[in-house]
Amino acid sequence: MKIDTEEREESRSRISAWILQGGNEPDPRFTLANERTFLAWIRTSLALVTGGVAVEAFMADLFGPELRKTVSILLLTTALLIGSSSFFRYVGVERAMRHKQPLPLPWIAPLLSACAAVAAVAMVLFVLARPN
Amino acid sequence: MSGPQCWDSHADPGLQPERTELAWGRTSLSILAAGAVFVRWMTMHGLLVGIPVVVSVLLATMVGITRKHRFHQAVRGVHIERLQPNIGTVAATAATAVVLSLLGIFIVLFVPSEPR
Repeated sequence: MKIDTEEREESRSRISAWILQGGNEPDPRFTLANERTFLAWIRTSLALVTGGVAVEAFMADLFGPELRKTVSILLLTTALLIGSSSFFRYVGVERAMRHKQPLPLPWIAPLLSACAAVAAVAMVLFVLARPN
Repeated sequence: MSGPQCWDSHADPGLQPERTELAWGRTSLSILAAGAVFVRWMTMHGLLVGIPVVVSVLLATMVGITRKHRFHQAVRGVHIERLQPNIGTVAATAATAVVLSLLGIFIVLFVPSEPR
């Protein structure tokens, strides 16, 4: 039982060693802060999933199908981009900290802003174009 | 590995392990909420909707089960100044967000809903 756990721990650390590409472990507080930052990004992504599905599933009586589909796809695509890149950012930051290098640029922040702006503009256009 | 209980869980004045665990808790609630909105589609799209629900419940359960272990690892890590990053759980969480958004896109674009 004990050996099992140790073997599992060992194989797990081998996978993380391969992903992290060497270096020295940073201050554990930085590792935890990086984890919390990742979690904040993934919650943003999940909120966008919830919003994207909700627009399509709950607003059938309020908006036409084109608006619903456009906004829903915009939100879900943003969620997909944020969700996948947040993992790569987490790994990138962890690697940089292990090699005592400067942290990579947080380009998912402008990505999120751009996608949110596009979704907002689409919304405005549809509201303006809507026949009364 | 010796028992993690021998360290005072409040040895870190910044309460990092506690804050991280709370962040995981908030995240698993977000996962469940994201899975739950898919249920609205059940009448239109049938069992396909079961996939996101099952995926989100599985991940939230996994985060819940590993909660104590993660917290003790973090407390121990802060104490001994060495901590293995939680790549497995982080990757599973990111994968869940990706799967949920891809399924959402797929359903919105390609699965015709029954006429109301």
